[in-house]
Amino acid sequence: MTFTRDELKNLLLPALITLALLAAGGALIWSADNALAGARIELAAAQSERRQNAERLARISEEEREVSEKLDVYRRLGQLNILGEERRLEWADAITRIRGERELLDLRYRVERQRLLTSAPGKPANVDFFASTMKVELALLHEEDLLRFLADLRNSGNAFYSVQRCVLSRTGQAATGVGITPRLRAECEIDLVTIIDRAAKR
Amino acid sequence: MAARRILYFTAEDHYLYRSAGGALELEARFSGDDLGVTAFREHLRAHRGALFSVLADLAGEDFHEEQIPYVRGGDREAVVQRRLAQRYRDTRLVTALSLGQVVTAERRNERLLLASFTNTQQLAPWLDALEEAGTRLSGVYSVPLLAPALAAKLGVRGGRALIVTANRAGLRQCFVDQGKLRFARLERTVEMVPQALALFVRSETQRLAQYLVTLRALPREGAPVQVLVVAPAGQRAAFEQALVSDARLVFRTVDYPEALQAIRLRHVPEGTQSEALFLHLAARKPPAEQFASREDRRRYSVWQLQRGIMAAGAVGLVACAFVGGSRWLEVMQVSDQVAMQRNEARVAAQQYERITSTFPVTQTSTENMKVAVVEFRRIAERSASPEAAFVHLSRVLEQFPQMEVDVVTWRLGRAGEAREPRSAEAGSAARPQAQGDVAVFVEVSGRVNATQRTDYRGITAQVQRFAAALAGSGYEPVRTQLPFDVTSEGTLTGDIGGSETGEAPRFTVVLSRRLP
Repeated sequence: MTFTRDELKNLLLPALITLALLAAGGALIWSADNALAGARIELAAAQSERRQNAERLARISEEEREVSEKLDVYRRLGQLNILGEERRLEWADAITRIRGERELLDLRYRVERQRLLTSAPGKPANVDFFASTMKVELALLHEEDLLRFLADLRNSGNAFYSVQRCVLSRTGQAATGVGITPRLRAECEIDLVTIIDRAAKR
Repeated sequence: MAARRILYFTAEDHYLYRSAGGALELEARFSGDDLGVTAFREHLRAHRGALFSVLADLAGEDFHEEQIPYVRGGDREAVVQRRLAQRYRDTRLVTALSLGQVVTAERRNERLLLASFTNTQQLAPWLDALEEAGTRLSGVYSVPLLAPALAAKLGVRGGRALIVTANRAGLRQCFVDQGKLRFARLERTVEMVPQALALFVRSETQRLAQYLVTLRALPREGAPVQVLVVAPAGQRAAFEQALVSDARLVFRTVDYPEALQAIRLRHVPEGTQSEALFLHLAARKPPAEQFASREDRRRYSVWQLQRGIMAAGAVGLVACAFVGGSRWLEVMQVSDQVAMQRNEARVAAQQYERITSTFPVTQTSTENMKVAVVEFRRIAERSASPEAAFVHLSRVLEQFPQMEVDVVTWRLGRAGEAREPRSAEAGSAARPQAQGDVAVFVEVSGRVNATQRTDYRGITAQVQRFAAALAGSGYEPVRTQLPFDVTSEGTLTGDIGGSETGEAPRFTVVLSRRLP
């Protein structure tokens, strides 16, 4: 059947309407598919959230114990002034005091610039660990003087003292009998670690 | 459903009916002359684009049985058109009804019933008027073409049957064999009483039966032929009394209202006779076979195509709506699940908050507190103190009084590191904080006393024993530098017989201990 121009015109409108109907149907399916995909993503997220919350709730007693235990350590860090800004004056006071108490012959030290050791991601803010390297030179009568010095330093607080290097050597000086002559010499590098908790209330 | 108009065409007057729903309305009546055609044209002006059918109820209708080779598609169409052209001079109103296959020993044939009107010219002006008025002609039917459909509606199931109706045009008799039309005739009638009409029906039916036997359309002997007579309203009793069955004909009378009910025609105009049954069937259940040519039905075909396209669109939309609807239902189900999961998550979170609110108060968040402590422990674990190393060295030295230590270097380094960095830069680069495994390194440098310098073997053995003694309590030997290089890679020097310099041979032992 061959159509005339008028007949084709008559068929045009129904064809357009049909196309519009099919397009509307396609759009309906498309929108439904989109909505379904969105709903499935939401469901996955909601399931994950529920699972996490349920697991967290199930671990609550363990967490309570963990919090309690960590709180003790955290408080202790605070009491030792490891938590907070550096206390360089306190460090200097402590070294002076130790030298006096231990009657060390000679003691020289130099504290380097503070550097960031590590930054641990926390919530709501990071926890930053800083270290300042202290180089100490000591003149010793006996090697135990070094060990006592380190123990005293550690007990003085105001930082966590992490010894990185210690060199103990003979001075080679002979005893004169007039005064006390150091027989040993020690050179140490000690990291003075402090913690800044950005979320901590001041 | 769109209303259809059917022009009931008789030899005298023509009636225009309108069929809508289950009702039939008489819209106009036209005389069969030129005045009638003019009036019809005038009437059609208001019905441009309307659907029309023509139902001819004429006496001059020819039926001729033919056989053609059994072919299909375009070949069949060509053969049928050739046979129709051979049979009828004017092929504007012709049709061919298939009566089924005939299988002979030689080949397979198809039986056809060719049909047309002996005088098509009486219909031509009316069809031209429909064409000129821009109407959509769905088809030109004759009452016999609709007889099989009426027979089926009135309960005739297969076999041979004569359908007899009293129409406005006259007494119509149609012979239907196995549901297919084989022959029909129209006998004009005049006004007569029911009994006379019934007797007329009986006599005409017997005549037709005799004629069909002559044509060999009916066997001379055999089962009686069923005769279904639609009696005019209220005349059934008179018909049943007159129409007595015999060995040849078995009459069954159906009351006109009963027939109307059977074809679900609820309303008919006053004065309409049994032709209403055929008119309704032509409007609602037209057969595929009809007389109009393809050109006469062109507008209707285009209209059908329009409807088909729209229907396809509607079906497509419905299908899409069904699919989309099912997806939306799924979306609703998933949304319900989301709401349920969120509610459960919220309840768990609230419960968690309630319990954690009883935890000790801290100056920071729980998360930060955990992070601070965990990281601090990690740093502490990677730290060590030289005390233990010095104690270990002192204990070993007590066993080796001839060994005199000059320098002890204690440091932290990466596990597996073999030797101490030479420069200060290398030393800071080797800080173990950022590394994985951390170890303590102890380097002991000293001299061997109380042994002759020329006693290479003795000195070497003592240093090796000293190094072996240092290894233990978690310490592993990393490197031992002997006073004399006895390896094949080194240079061995000696000054035998020379004067003693007094300087004791020097050695270096490096140990390491991995931190936990």
